[in-house]
Amino acid sequence: MSQDTQNAGLGSGAHDADAVPGSAPLGSGAAGMDRILKRETHSSRAVVSVIAAALVMAVCGYALLETAVQAIGQPPWLVDPQTAAERVVALPAGIGPLLLVVTGAVIAMVGLFFFLNAVLPGRRARHLLPDRRAAVVVDDEVIAAALARRARLAANVSQEQVMVVVSRNRVMVNVRPTSGVPLRPDAVLDAVRHELQEMGPWPMPEVRIQVSTAGVVGA
Amino acid sequence: MNNTPRVLNRILIGILGVTLLAFGVLLVLLATVPAVGVWWHEWAGSVLNFWLDLFERTQFPRRQGSWLWLVICFVLVVVLGLMVAWIAQQGKGRTSLLVAEEDPGDAPGNVGIGHGVAEQALRAALADRPDLAGVTVAAYEIKGEPSLRIWVEPRQGVAPHALAAEVSSLVEALDAVIGKRTPVLIHIGSGARSRFGRAERVR
Repeated sequence: MSQDTQNAGLGSGAHDADAVPGSAPLGSGAAGMDRILKRETHSSRAVVSVIAAALVMAVCGYALLETAVQAIGQPPWLVDPQTAAERVVALPAGIGPLLLVVTGAVIAMVGLFFFLNAVLPGRRARHLLPDRRAAVVVDDEVIAAALARRARLAANVSQEQVMVVVSRNRVMVNVRPTSGVPLRPDAVLDAVRHELQEMGPWPMPEVRIQVSTAGVVGA
Repeated sequence: MNNTPRVLNRILIGILGVTLLAFGVLLVLLATVPAVGVWWHEWAGSVLNFWLDLFERTQFPRRQGSWLWLVICFVLVVVLGLMVAWIAQQGKGRTSLLVAEEDPGDAPGNVGIGHGVAEQALRAALADRPDLAGVTVAAYEIKGEPSLRIWVEPRQGVAPHALAAEVSSLVEALDAVIGKRTPVLIHIGSGARSRFGRAERVR
Protein backbone atom coordinates (compact mmCIF):
# COMPACT_ATOMS: atom_id res chain seq x y z
CA MET A 1 0.00 0.00 0.00
CA SER A 2 1.46 3.33 -0.90
CA GLN A 3 0.10 6.76 -1.27
CA ASP A 4 1.95 9.77 -2.54
CA THR A 5 0.75 13.29 -2.73
CA GLN A 6 2.68 16.15 -4.16
CA ASN A 7 1.74 19.71 -4.81
CA ALA A 8 3.50 22.71 -6.23
CA GLY A 9 5.49 24.32 -3.47
CA LEU A 10 5.19 22.20 -0.45
CA GLY A 11 4.54 18.60 -0.92
CA SER A 12 4.55 15.52 1.04
CA GLY A 13 4.17 11.91 0.39
CA ALA A 14 4.26 8.98 2.55
CA HIS A 15 4.39 5.31 2.19
CA ASP A 16 4.31 2.45 4.56
CA ALA A 17 7.86 1.45 5.14
CA ASP A 18 8.84 -1.64 7.01
CA ALA A 19 7.90 -1.82 10.62
CA VAL A 20 10.34 -0.55 13.20
CA PRO A 21 9.87 -2.72 16.24
CA GLY A 22 11.09 -1.79 19.66
CA SER A 23 10.86 1.53 21.42
CA ALA A 24 7.51 2.49 22.87
CA PRO A 25 5.55 5.37 21.36
CA LEU A 26 5.84 8.75 22.92
CA GLY A 27 3.21 10.93 24.48
CA SER A 28 1.35 8.26 26.37
CA GLY A 29 -0.22 10.00 29.30
CA ALA A 30 -3.04 7.75 30.41
CA ALA A 31 -3.54 4.02 30.52
CA GLY A 32 -5.53 3.56 27.33
CA MET A 33 -3.35 5.99 25.41
CA ASP A 34 -1.08 3.37 23.84
CA ARG A 35 -4.10 1.68 22.37
CA ILE A 36 -5.49 4.99 21.11
CA LEU A 37 -2.16 5.87 19.48
CA LYS A 38 -1.92 2.50 17.82
CA ARG A 39 -5.43 2.92 16.48
CA GLU A 40 -4.71 6.44 15.29
CA THR A 41 -1.64 5.43 13.29
CA HIS A 42 -3.28 2.44 11.61
CA SER A 43 -6.20 2.31 9.24
CA SER A 44 -9.43 0.89 10.66
CA ARG A 45 -10.49 -0.59 7.30
CA ALA A 46 -13.91 0.92 7.83
CA VAL A 47 -14.38 2.00 4.21
CA VAL A 48 -13.30 -1.37 2.80
CA SER A 49 -15.59 -3.08 5.31
CA VAL A 50 -18.56 -1.05 4.16
CA ILE A 51 -17.74 -1.86 0.52
CA ALA A 52 -17.45 -5.56 1.35
CA ALA A 53 -20.70 -5.55 3.29
CA ALA A 54 -22.47 -3.75 0.45
CA LEU A 55 -21.16 -6.32 -2.03
CA VAL A 56 -22.36 -9.24 0.08
CA MET A 57 -25.69 -7.50 0.61
CA ALA A 58 -26.17 -7.00 -3.13
CA VAL A 59 -25.47 -10.66 -3.90
CA CYS A 60 -27.62 -11.89 -1.00
CA GLY A 61 -30.41 -9.48 -1.92
CA TYR A 62 -30.58 -10.80 -5.45
CA ALA A 63 -30.43 -14.41 -4.24
CA LEU A 64 -33.20 -13.64 -1.76
CA LEU A 65 -35.38 -12.22 -4.51
CA GLU A 66 -34.99 -15.27 -6.73
CA THR A 67 -35.40 -17.69 -3.82
CA ALA A 68 -38.51 -15.95 -2.53
CA VAL A 69 -40.03 -15.94 -6.01
CA GLN A 70 -39.26 -19.65 -6.23
CA ALA A 71 -40.68 -20.31 -2.75
CA ILE A 72 -44.06 -18.80 -3.55
CA GLY A 73 -44.15 -20.50 -6.93
CA GLN A 74 -43.92 -17.46 -9.21
CA PRO A 75 -41.92 -17.27 -12.46
CA PRO A 76 -38.27 -16.20 -11.90
CA TRP A 77 -37.07 -12.64 -12.52
CA LEU A 78 -33.83 -13.38 -14.40
CA VAL A 79 -32.98 -17.02 -13.79
CA ASP A 80 -34.40 -19.56 -11.38
CA PRO A 81 -31.91 -21.02 -8.87
CA GLN A 82 -31.95 -24.55 -10.24
CA THR A 83 -31.13 -23.50 -13.81
CA ALA A 84 -28.39 -21.23 -12.47
CA ALA A 85 -26.85 -24.11 -10.52
CA GLU A 86 -27.01 -26.41 -13.53
CA ARG A 87 -25.27 -23.80 -15.66
CA VAL A 88 -22.53 -23.37 -13.07
CA VAL A 89 -21.97 -27.14 -12.95
CA ALA A 90 -21.69 -27.29 -16.75
CA LEU A 91 -19.30 -24.37 -16.65
CA PRO A 92 -16.54 -24.61 -19.20
CA ALA A 93 -19.36 -25.15 -21.68
CA GLY A 94 -21.99 -22.52 -22.36
CA ILE A 95 -19.74 -19.46 -22.21
CA GLY A 96 -16.85 -18.21 -24.31
CA PRO A 97 -13.45 -19.21 -22.84
CA LEU A 98 -12.09 -15.68 -23.16
CA LEU A 99 -15.08 -14.21 -21.30
CA LEU A 100 -14.67 -16.86 -18.60
CA VAL A 101 -10.97 -16.05 -18.17
CA VAL A 102 -11.65 -12.32 -17.97
CA THR A 103 -14.49 -12.79 -15.48
CA GLY A 104 -12.32 -15.06 -13.37
CA ALA A 105 -9.41 -12.63 -13.45
CA VAL A 106 -11.61 -9.69 -12.42
CA ILE A 107 -13.14 -11.65 -9.54
CA ALA A 108 -9.68 -12.84 -8.44
CA MET A 109 -8.40 -9.24 -8.51
CA VAL A 110 -11.29 -8.03 -6.36
CA GLY A 111 -10.60 -10.91 -3.99
CA LEU A 112 -6.91 -10.03 -3.86
CA PHE A 113 -7.81 -6.42 -3.04
CA PHE A 114 -9.92 -7.48 -0.07
CA PHE A 115 -7.38 -10.06 1.04
CA LEU A 116 -4.47 -7.59 1.00
CA ASN A 117 -6.58 -5.08 2.88
CA ALA A 118 -7.15 -7.69 5.54
CA VAL A 119 -3.50 -8.75 5.80
CA LEU A 120 -1.36 -5.63 5.28
CA PRO A 121 -0.65 -3.46 8.33
CA GLY A 122 -2.36 -0.40 6.83
CA ARG A 123 -0.09 2.10 8.50
CA ARG A 124 -1.20 5.68 8.08
CA ALA A 125 1.16 8.45 7.02
CA ARG A 126 1.44 9.87 10.52
CA HIS A 127 4.07 10.45 13.17
CA LEU A 128 3.79 10.85 16.91
CA LEU A 129 5.08 13.87 18.80
CA PRO A 130 6.15 13.96 22.45
CA ASP A 131 3.95 15.96 24.78
CA ARG A 132 3.62 16.00 28.54
CA ARG A 133 -0.17 16.19 28.71
CA ALA A 134 -1.77 14.79 25.58
CA ALA A 135 -1.05 12.23 22.92
CA VAL A 136 -0.14 14.02 19.69
CA VAL A 137 -0.47 12.59 16.20
CA VAL A 138 0.69 14.59 13.19
CA ASP A 139 -0.02 13.94 9.53
CA ASP A 140 3.20 13.61 7.52
CA GLU A 141 1.93 16.33 5.22
CA VAL A 142 2.01 18.86 8.06
CA ILE A 143 5.58 17.87 8.98
CA ALA A 144 6.59 18.19 5.32
CA ALA A 145 5.07 21.65 5.07
CA ALA A 146 6.87 22.83 8.21
CA LEU A 147 10.21 21.42 7.04
CA ALA A 148 9.73 22.89 3.57
CA ARG A 149 9.17 26.30 5.08
CA ARG A 150 12.36 25.95 7.12
CA ALA A 151 14.35 24.75 4.11
CA ARG A 152 13.01 27.61 2.01
CA LEU A 153 14.16 30.16 4.59
CA ALA A 154 17.59 28.52 4.92
CA ALA A 155 18.13 28.27 1.18
CA ASN A 156 16.69 31.70 0.51
CA VAL A 157 14.58 30.50 -2.39
CA SER A 158 10.91 30.88 -3.20
CA GLN A 159 8.18 28.53 -2.06
CA GLU A 160 7.89 26.76 -5.40
CA GLN A 161 11.57 25.77 -5.41
CA VAL A 162 11.39 23.48 -2.39
CA MET A 163 9.60 20.19 -2.18
CA VAL A 164 9.75 17.95 0.86
CA VAL A 165 8.59 14.35 0.92
CA VAL A 166 8.13 12.77 4.34
CA SER A 167 7.82 9.04 4.69
CA ARG A 168 7.97 6.91 7.81
CA ASN A 169 11.75 6.70 8.05
CA ARG A 170 13.00 9.30 5.63
CA VAL A 171 12.67 12.98 4.83
CA MET A 172 13.65 13.93 1.30
CA VAL A 173 14.30 17.60 0.69
CA ASN A 174 14.36 18.60 -2.98
CA VAL A 175 15.68 22.07 -3.72
CA ARG A 176 15.95 23.81 -7.08
CA PRO A 177 18.37 26.69 -6.63
CA THR A 178 17.96 30.06 -8.31
CA SER A 179 20.16 30.27 -11.36
CA GLY A 180 23.38 32.17 -10.61
CA VAL A 181 22.86 32.20 -6.84
CA PRO A 182 25.05 29.66 -5.04
CA LEU A 183 23.31 27.38 -2.56
CA ARG A 184 24.98 25.55 0.31
CA PRO A 185 23.24 22.19 0.74
CA ASP A 186 24.88 21.62 4.13
CA ALA A 187 23.33 24.74 5.57
CA VAL A 188 19.86 23.72 4.36
CA LEU A 189 20.37 20.20 5.65
CA ASP A 190 21.45 21.49 9.05
CA ALA A 191 18.44 23.78 9.27
CA VAL A 192 16.02 20.98 8.40
CA ARG A 193 17.75 18.58 10.81
CA HIS A 194 17.59 21.13 13.58
CA GLU A 195 13.89 21.70 13.00
CA LEU A 196 13.28 17.97 12.99
CA GLN A 197 15.24 17.51 16.23
CA GLU A 198 13.14 20.21 17.85
CA MET A 199 9.97 18.55 16.61
CA GLY A 200 11.07 15.08 17.75
CA PRO A 201 8.67 12.91 15.75
CA TRP A 202 8.46 9.19 16.43
CA PRO A 203 9.80 7.29 14.54
CA MET A 204 12.57 9.77 13.81
CA PRO A 205 13.17 9.95 10.07
CA GLU A 206 16.54 10.44 8.44
CA VAL A 207 17.04 13.60 6.37
CA ARG A 208 18.41 13.63 2.85
CA ILE A 209 18.79 16.55 0.52
CA GLN A 210 18.80 16.66 -3.23
CA VAL A 211 19.82 19.85 -5.01
CA SER A 212 18.78 19.75 -8.62
CA THR A 213 21.46 20.61 -11.18
CA ALA A 214 19.20 22.81 -13.24
CA GLY A 215 18.51 26.17 -11.66
CA VAL A 216 15.40 28.29 -11.86
CA VAL A 217 15.76 31.40 -13.99
CA GLY A 218 14.43 34.67 -12.65
CA ALA A 219 13.03 33.37 -9.41
CA MET B 1 -9.88 6.45 18.29
CA ASN B 2 -13.48 5.36 17.78
CA ASN B 3 -14.67 1.86 18.56
CA THR B 4 -14.62 0.44 15.05
CA PRO B 5 -14.17 -3.35 15.41
CA ARG B 6 -10.85 -3.56 13.59
CA VAL B 7 -10.11 -7.23 14.12
CA LEU B 8 -13.61 -8.19 13.00
CA ASN B 9 -13.23 -5.96 9.94
CA ARG B 10 -10.02 -7.67 8.96
CA ILE B 11 -11.37 -11.17 9.54
CA LEU B 12 -14.54 -10.60 7.51
CA ILE B 13 -12.70 -8.80 4.71
CA GLY B 14 -10.15 -11.60 4.68
CA ILE B 15 -12.85 -14.30 4.41
CA LEU B 16 -14.53 -12.44 1.55
CA GLY B 17 -11.19 -11.84 -0.18
CA VAL B 18 -10.06 -15.46 0.00
CA THR B 19 -13.45 -16.69 -1.21
CA LEU B 20 -13.50 -14.35 -4.20
CA LEU B 21 -9.86 -15.11 -4.98
CA ALA B 22 -10.50 -18.85 -4.97
CA PHE B 23 -13.61 -18.48 -7.10
CA GLY B 24 -11.81 -16.27 -9.64
CA VAL B 25 -8.85 -18.63 -9.89
CA LEU B 26 -11.26 -21.56 -10.32
CA LEU B 27 -12.99 -19.78 -13.23
CA VAL B 28 -9.64 -19.07 -14.93
CA LEU B 29 -8.53 -22.69 -14.45
CA LEU B 30 -11.85 -24.00 -15.79
CA ALA B 31 -11.34 -22.00 -18.96
CA THR B 32 -7.68 -22.90 -19.45
CA VAL B 33 -7.02 -26.38 -18.01
CA PRO B 34 -9.28 -29.18 -19.37
CA ALA B 35 -8.45 -31.56 -16.50
CA VAL B 36 -9.90 -29.10 -13.99
CA GLY B 37 -13.10 -29.05 -16.07
CA VAL B 38 -13.47 -32.82 -15.75
CA TRP B 39 -12.89 -32.73 -12.00
CA TRP B 40 -15.31 -29.80 -11.58
CA HIS B 41 -17.98 -31.62 -13.55
CA GLU B 42 -17.79 -34.61 -11.25
CA TRP B 43 -17.53 -32.75 -7.96
CA ALA B 44 -20.05 -29.99 -8.63
CA GLY B 45 -22.41 -32.50 -10.24
CA SER B 46 -22.47 -34.62 -7.11
CA VAL B 47 -23.05 -31.52 -4.95
CA LEU B 48 -25.94 -30.48 -7.18
CA ASN B 49 -27.45 -33.97 -7.04
CA PHE B 50 -27.22 -33.90 -3.26
CA TRP B 51 -29.17 -30.65 -3.16
CA LEU B 52 -31.75 -31.79 -5.70
CA ASP B 53 -32.27 -34.89 -3.59
CA LEU B 54 -32.65 -32.72 -0.53
CA PHE B 55 -35.30 -30.61 -2.27
CA GLU B 56 -37.15 -33.78 -3.26
CA ARG B 57 -37.25 -34.99 0.33
CA THR B 58 -38.44 -31.67 1.76
CA GLN B 59 -41.69 -31.30 -0.16
CA PHE B 60 -44.70 -29.77 1.58
CA PRO B 61 -47.02 -32.52 2.86
CA ARG B 62 -49.97 -31.65 0.68
CA ARG B 63 -48.97 -29.28 -2.11
CA GLN B 64 -46.21 -28.92 -4.68
CA GLY B 65 -42.86 -27.31 -3.73
CA SER B 66 -40.15 -27.66 -1.11
CA TRP B 67 -40.10 -25.82 2.20
CA LEU B 68 -36.30 -25.66 1.90
CA TRP B 69 -36.76 -22.49 -0.18
CA LEU B 70 -38.27 -20.76 2.82
CA VAL B 71 -35.31 -21.88 4.95
CA ILE B 72 -32.89 -20.45 2.38
CA CYS B 73 -34.88 -17.21 2.33
CA PHE B 74 -34.62 -17.01 6.10
CA VAL B 75 -30.85 -17.64 6.04
CA LEU B 76 -30.36 -14.92 3.42
CA VAL B 77 -32.41 -12.46 5.48
CA VAL B 78 -30.22 -13.27 8.49
CA VAL B 79 -27.05 -12.68 6.44
CA LEU B 80 -28.44 -9.36 5.21
CA GLY B 81 -29.21 -8.36 8.78
CA LEU B 82 -25.70 -9.27 9.91
CA MET B 83 -24.20 -7.17 7.12
CA VAL B 84 -26.31 -4.17 8.16
CA ALA B 85 -25.17 -4.71 11.75
CA TRP B 86 -21.55 -4.86 10.58
CA ILE B 87 -21.86 -1.55 8.74
CA ALA B 88 -23.50 -0.01 11.79
CA GLN B 89 -20.45 -0.94 13.88
CA GLN B 90 -18.13 1.31 11.86
CA GLY B 91 -17.05 4.53 13.50
CA LYS B 92 -19.23 4.23 16.59
CA GLY B 93 -18.14 5.24 20.04
CA ARG B 94 -19.04 8.93 20.18
CA THR B 95 -20.28 10.03 23.53
CA SER B 96 -21.99 13.17 24.68
CA LEU B 97 -20.75 13.21 28.26
CA LEU B 98 -17.22 14.18 29.17
CA VAL B 99 -17.65 13.64 32.90
CA ALA B 100 -20.42 11.73 34.67
CA GLU B 101 -19.99 11.28 38.38
CA GLU B 102 -22.09 11.07 41.48
CA ASP B 103 -22.28 14.25 43.46
CA PRO B 104 -20.63 13.61 46.84
CA GLY B 105 -22.44 16.59 48.44
CA ASP B 106 -25.77 16.73 50.25
CA ALA B 107 -27.94 17.16 47.20
CA PRO B 108 -28.90 13.84 45.62
CA GLY B 109 -28.10 13.25 41.95
CA ASN B 110 -25.30 13.01 39.46
CA VAL B 111 -23.08 15.57 37.82
CA GLY B 112 -22.64 15.38 34.07
CA ILE B 113 -20.51 17.62 31.91
CA GLY B 114 -21.29 17.47 28.22
CA HIS B 115 -18.56 17.36 25.58
CA GLY B 116 -19.91 20.68 24.30
CA VAL B 117 -18.18 22.38 27.24
CA ALA B 118 -14.75 21.27 26.09
CA GLU B 119 -15.61 21.88 22.47
CA GLN B 120 -16.87 25.43 22.98
CA ALA B 121 -13.99 26.35 25.28
CA LEU B 122 -11.30 25.06 22.95
CA ARG B 123 -12.91 26.46 19.84
CA ALA B 124 -13.24 29.86 21.45
CA ALA B 125 -9.60 29.77 22.56
CA LEU B 126 -8.37 28.83 19.11
CA ALA B 127 -10.83 30.88 17.09
CA ASP B 128 -8.81 33.98 16.31
CA ARG B 129 -5.57 32.31 15.32
CA PRO B 130 -4.55 33.06 11.76
CA ASP B 131 -2.43 29.92 11.48
CA LEU B 132 -5.35 27.51 11.88
CA ALA B 133 -7.80 26.57 9.17
CA GLY B 134 -10.09 24.48 11.33
CA VAL B 135 -10.66 22.93 14.76
CA THR B 136 -12.94 20.03 15.65
CA VAL B 137 -13.41 18.60 19.12
CA ALA B 138 -15.22 15.34 19.78
CA ALA B 139 -15.58 13.03 22.77
CA TYR B 140 -15.26 9.27 22.43
CA GLU B 141 -15.76 6.52 24.92
CA ILE B 142 -12.68 4.30 25.18
CA LYS B 143 -13.31 1.25 27.35
CA GLY B 144 -16.00 3.06 29.29
CA GLU B 145 -13.83 6.10 29.88
CA PRO B 146 -14.64 9.31 28.02
CA SER B 147 -11.72 10.84 26.17
CA LEU B 148 -11.31 13.90 24.03
CA ARG B 149 -10.11 14.09 20.48
CA ILE B 150 -8.95 17.49 19.24
CA TRP B 151 -8.44 17.74 15.51
CA VAL B 152 -6.49 20.82 14.43
CA GLU B 153 -5.87 21.78 10.85
CA PRO B 154 -2.97 24.23 10.58
CA ARG B 155 -2.13 26.22 7.49
CA GLN B 156 0.89 25.14 5.50
CA GLY B 157 4.24 25.71 7.12
CA VAL B 158 3.12 25.91 10.75
CA ALA B 159 5.50 24.04 13.05
CA PRO B 160 3.46 21.15 14.50
CA HIS B 161 5.40 20.87 17.77
CA ALA B 162 4.80 24.51 18.66
CA LEU B 163 1.12 24.14 17.84
CA ALA B 164 0.90 20.93 19.87
CA ALA B 165 2.49 22.61 22.88
CA GLU B 166 0.02 25.50 22.71
CA VAL B 167 -3.02 23.26 22.35
CA SER B 168 -1.78 21.07 25.16
CA SER B 169 -1.44 24.06 27.50
CA LEU B 170 -5.05 24.91 26.62
CA VAL B 171 -5.98 21.36 27.54
CA GLU B 172 -4.26 21.78 30.89
CA ALA B 173 -6.29 24.91 31.50
CA LEU B 174 -9.40 22.91 30.60
CA ASP B 175 -8.39 20.25 33.13
CA ALA B 176 -8.39 22.91 35.80
CA VAL B 177 -11.87 24.07 34.77
CA ILE B 178 -13.45 20.61 34.58
CA GLY B 179 -11.54 19.23 37.54
CA LYS B 180 -10.74 15.91 35.92
CA ARG B 181 -7.96 14.73 33.68
CA THR B 182 -9.49 13.04 30.68
CA PRO B 183 -7.25 11.32 28.12
CA VAL B 184 -6.70 13.70 25.21
CA LEU B 185 -5.59 13.05 21.68
CA ILE B 186 -4.40 15.97 19.58
CA HIS B 187 -4.44 15.22 15.89
CA ILE B 188 -2.66 17.78 13.74
CA GLY B 189 -3.91 17.01 10.28
CA SER B 190 -4.13 18.42 6.82
CA GLY B 191 -7.13 18.80 4.62
CA ALA B 192 -8.41 20.69 1.62
CA ARG B 193 -8.54 23.97 3.48
CA SER B 194 -4.90 23.86 4.55
CA ARG B 195 -3.70 22.44 1.25
CA PHE B 196 -5.30 24.99 -1.03
CA GLY B 197 -5.47 27.95 1.34
CA ARG B 198 -2.74 30.54 1.65
CA ALA B 199 0.46 29.54 3.41
CA GLU B 200 1.20 30.91 6.84
CA ARG B 201 3.99 33.47 6.50
CA VAL B 202 4.02 35.28 9.80
CA ARG B 203 4.63 32.60 12.34
